[in-house]
Amino acid sequence: MSTTIVETRQVPALKVENLVVDFKTKNGTVNAVRGVSFSVAPGEVLAVVGESGSGKTITSLTSMALLPSTARTSGVVEVDGHDVLNASASAMDAKRGNVVSMVFQEPMTALNPSMKVDKQVAEAILNHRGVSKAEAHARAVALLEKVGIPDPEVKARNYPHQLSGGQRQRVVIAIALACEPRLIIADEPTTALDVTVQAEILELLRNLVQETNTALLLITHNMGVVADLSDRVVVMNAGKIVETGTTVQVLTAPEQPYTRALLAAVPTLPEAQWDTVIAAERTKASFPEAEVKEIVAVDPVLDMRGICVDYASGGRKLRAVNDADLLINRGEIVGLVGESGSGKSTLGRAPLGLVPVTGGSITLFGGNALKASKRQIRTLRSRIGIIFQDPGGSLDPRMTVGDSIAEPLVMHGVDGRRPVRSVREARVAELLEAVRLPAANAQRYPHELSGGQRQRIGLARALALAPELLIADEPTSALDVSVQDEVLTLLLELQKEHGFGCLFISHDLAVVHSVSQRVTVMQHGNVIESGATSRVLQHPEASYTRHLLASVPSPNPIMQKRRREARFALLSSKDS
Amino acid sequence: MSTATLSRTAPPKSPAARAAHEFFSNKLAVIGVVIVVALMVFSFIGPLLYQTEQVSTNLMQADLKPGEDGHPLGTDGLGYDVLGRLMIAGRTSILVGLAAGVLATILGTLWGSVAGYLGGWVDATMMRIVDAGIAIPGIFLLLVISAIVRPSEWMMVLIIGAVSWLVPARLTRAEALSLKSRDYVLAIKATGGSNSRAILRHIIPNTIGTVVVNATFQVADAILLIAYVSFLGMGLQPPATDWGAMLTDGISSVYSGAWWLIFPAGIAIVLIVSAFNFIGDGLRDMFDVRGQS
Amino acid sequence: MTTTTTATRDSSGIRLFSWFLAKRLVQAAVVIAIVSVIVFLLLQALPGGPARGILGQQATDAQIAAFNHEQGFDLPLIQQYFNYVGQWLQGNLGRSFVMNTDVSSLIIQRLPKTLILALAAVGGALLVSIPLGMAQALRRNKVFDYVMTGLNFIVYSTPSFFLGLLLIMFFTQLLGWLPASAPQGDTVAQILSQPREMILPVLTSGLAGVATFSRYMRSSTIDNLHEDYVRTARAKGTPMNKVISRHVLRNSLTPVVTMLGYYLPVMFGGALVVEQLFNYPGMGLLFWNAAQTTDFPVLLGCVLVISVATVIGSLLADITQFILDPRARGGVK
Repeated sequence: MSTTIVETRQVPALKVENLVVDFKTKNGTVNAVRGVSFSVAPGEVLAVVGESGSGKTITSLTSMALLPSTARTSGVVEVDGHDVLNASASAMDAKRGNVVSMVFQEPMTALNPSMKVDKQVAEAILNHRGVSKAEAHARAVALLEKVGIPDPEVKARNYPHQLSGGQRQRVVIAIALACEPRLIIADEPTTALDVTVQAEILELLRNLVQETNTALLLITHNMGVVADLSDRVVVMNAGKIVETGTTVQVLTAPEQPYTRALLAAVPTLPEAQWDTVIAAERTKASFPEAEVKEIVAVDPVLDMRGICVDYASGGRKLRAVNDADLLINRGEIVGLVGESGSGKSTLGRAPLGLVPVTGGSITLFGGNALKASKRQIRTLRSRIGIIFQDPGGSLDPRMTVGDSIAEPLVMHGVDGRRPVRSVREARVAELLEAVRLPAANAQRYPHELSGGQRQRIGLARALALAPELLIADEPTSALDVSVQDEVLTLLLELQKEHGFGCLFISHDLAVVHSVSQRVTVMQHGNVIESGATSRVLQHPEASYTRHLLASVPSPNPIMQKRRREARFALLSSKDS
Repeated sequence: MSTATLSRTAPPKSPAARAAHEFFSNKLAVIGVVIVVALMVFSFIGPLLYQTEQVSTNLMQADLKPGEDGHPLGTDGLGYDVLGRLMIAGRTSILVGLAAGVLATILGTLWGSVAGYLGGWVDATMMRIVDAGIAIPGIFLLLVISAIVRPSEWMMVLIIGAVSWLVPARLTRAEALSLKSRDYVLAIKATGGSNSRAILRHIIPNTIGTVVVNATFQVADAILLIAYVSFLGMGLQPPATDWGAMLTDGISSVYSGAWWLIFPAGIAIVLIVSAFNFIGDGLRDMFDVRGQS
Repeated sequence: MTTTTTATRDSSGIRLFSWFLAKRLVQAAVVIAIVSVIVFLLLQALPGGPARGILGQQATDAQIAAFNHEQGFDLPLIQQYFNYVGQWLQGNLGRSFVMNTDVSSLIIQRLPKTLILALAAVGGALLVSIPLGMAQALRRNKVFDYVMTGLNFIVYSTPSFFLGLLLIMFFTQLLGWLPASAPQGDTVAQILSQPREMILPVLTSGLAGVATFSRYMRSSTIDNLHEDYVRTARAKGTPMNKVISRHVLRNSLTPVVTMLGYYLPVMFGGALVVEQLFNYPGMGLLFWNAAQTTDFPVLLGCVLVISVATVIGSLLADITQFILDPRARGGVK
């Protein structure tokens, strides 16, 4: 696979030379790509990494000639020796799906919702191969089997919504593979997927590239995905290439300061003791009951026991959280991790009264948050601060930033009374300074700020009443890795300064590792495992936690190889 | 998709300034504003400058052609000056349309936001009443009511308002439902804020877009409804009139070639209704409201 | 969300559909009940009661009392309401005060004619507006789109009797091609035997439909053109025209089909005006004549029948959408 040095005079699967892409917009010209050159050899996996705005996606769409009509391009783009930029529409139709094909980021929307899966795969075959419909259907089913869809005959007749996200992404890959193209472009192929599903899709892509000798252009922001899959890396920033090299070289010994800074911002997991973990999994070592006792209630700000949450859906009761315990002491950060549908956000919202709690007890700052009077609950909750995932949606678009930050002050008063304007403004300035933003920002509106700035505003707002408990629900998931790093650093500094307890909800184990002292793992509404962060991440007791940890790709290619092997070993011991 | 570095002019500051900029860059909307203002000046200031007899009939002056005897648009079968009549008819159409549209919007907004915010059984009951109201075509109801009471202008406002509040109620409810689960509203609820703060400070200001856009369409529809009611013979008692009634009176002149009894009133209706629709469309772009037609 | 096996997903689809259907049927029943209350209350709202309306201002109090007793109008309101509902359920909508016939037989005679007019108008409007809306979406913000959008707005803003009048002036007076009066006759067959007479009424009510439907089709197509699946289809080498015919068309039609169910009340309202303008012997004209003579049993019977038809229409529209859109069937939000 690592045929990095192409000595034969093969035609490259993709050649990009001095590519420039501009967009005409109402507000002027946007220079999305400014002089980019690289090539992908047959059978090679080239990763293009960068943060949002780096131009990586535009580069990939250019290679498919799928740019919107407002784009203007110059330079050379050749796929398998054929010019793309000046090709006619019909010539490109003949190439797409045949010589070059694409896998997209969002498997939930990438497929036509009203067309059965087999027809969507067969369409790619019928577009380019003169075969009968029956033959195309047979090939489609074979492809579905090849990409690891269980019961391919049955699933072929399903509509996309009947498949899981991972299965849908497999269907998109089957479509891309249908005509055995020379090049597959995968644009963030695993970003929308849970980490365990991501590991499966990465494995599938790796096997396919090895089997078919197809070149793969991998567009991603995730260094772990790069380390797992690619031979060579191109690092992009603001429309230009910053650094190019082999994956091992770029990820372990980057030359450029930008790459170094980018890599330094990536949170990493400590390497688990894989040998002992795998051995424990083989011997089916049960996880000790004593584990729960490790958590000592020193000075709890939040103590939830036996929490159950039920939703009504389609006339049936759905249990979102089942008998879950969670404890947060003053001054500690507790990570709550899980994949989508694990119930982590629901559990995190239980103390806020935002979800229907149907069982258990919630003690907030020593008071009963389920049975107290409305007034008492209101007072208890005024001691909590919250930050949400979407920095755009958590601020009222019609309020200035200053008004948003001041709102909790107005709501609950300062020193028992409604603060006058000067008091409010002083406190807002103080809070903005605390989150390292200039005080002048108070007059601005959310749409004028970047995602990272908005999340800082969210933090300032959450801190307005000097909370004793902060609930942060995926606070950095929507941010670029470098911005995420800044926000996390700020959060840690503020926590040290103010000493609040914090519930940090995240799907990202590495992020949780970088902030929390203790961690709770959830799956399907159940708490699977709880304990000190270092213990859980290095000596995971629950089978699910082990599997989860082994699925997180490491940004270090050498470590990632070990982790991958550990994942196989865990899977095979599960099967046996 | 990547958003790239953008070299652009500084955007206007507040959402209001941004919105106004968006509105005035929509040419149709600007045309709409110009038409509405022009027709309002015509109907309300016009009669002051161009005074005509519009109460008692004058059969001596009936059926004059345009230009004859100092009547720029001629006279009708009862001797009313058509140009002057167009002005006082416009006053009725515009005033009743505006009042009924605003009334329907206020009723609908209150009904919809209460239902959406409270949810549960209250919501279900309130919305079934709306469904039932929508199931009865408004114009049928209007005719039944008109058969019971012969409407005055204010009666007409009440009746049209009463049959038109249903659509805004549905829209506002949907909007309130979605705003209720926005993070910034949840944050208020979660940290001990009151319901009234959530509704007054966050939900209502953020429904303004939907409400204003819909109000504009409501006014357009109300003006059309007045015309229909007049056409069906259940409109205002003469000598009061509106554009729809003038047009209806003109229908019998189709074969006599008296175009001035048909076109001025007909075109006036089309102009004012189109203008309000243009404005509504521009406002929709401006507030970025989706899902209305 | 959690992955489940195919078997449970399919059965959950059926369960979801039954739940949806049950909920929707109950809703429809509640709505019809509320409509019946509104109709009943309207009856009560008549000044001096229906008796004064029928017997006229000169009637003596004794005459009115006798009439009220005969009609059961002196019973308690609740009892009167349930008497009415009992009668309605048996298909008895009362007798016309003026024409001395059963309201239900009048409606049965007139309704099919209105339906023919409406079906022809809606069908024609769909045939025009689906391609028109798509063409506008594909040439979005080009001259063609602007012109058609402007025209749509103007047609939408024109009272249908003015539109009909303009058509009469053009096709009948100016060109002399078409008759200005609608087909006459008691039976549907008689109506259908005069197709030339049908053209102007159908055109008048159809044009308003075109204005409404093509706006829906345009925005629905624009939404779908921005969907990711279009890019996927392009990426497998499907030419743009085939992407549109194979993928975009069907997905764009779903909201239009749904909208048709909700269009019924608008259609009946339009029929009222068009039938009166062209003197077409449908339900709208029946209603209009009843309004002139304050024939309340006919007025309220028509309102009741039309409302029930509308409720059933929107029920069917929702069910159709559930079937057309596999996403709704799976219950995935």
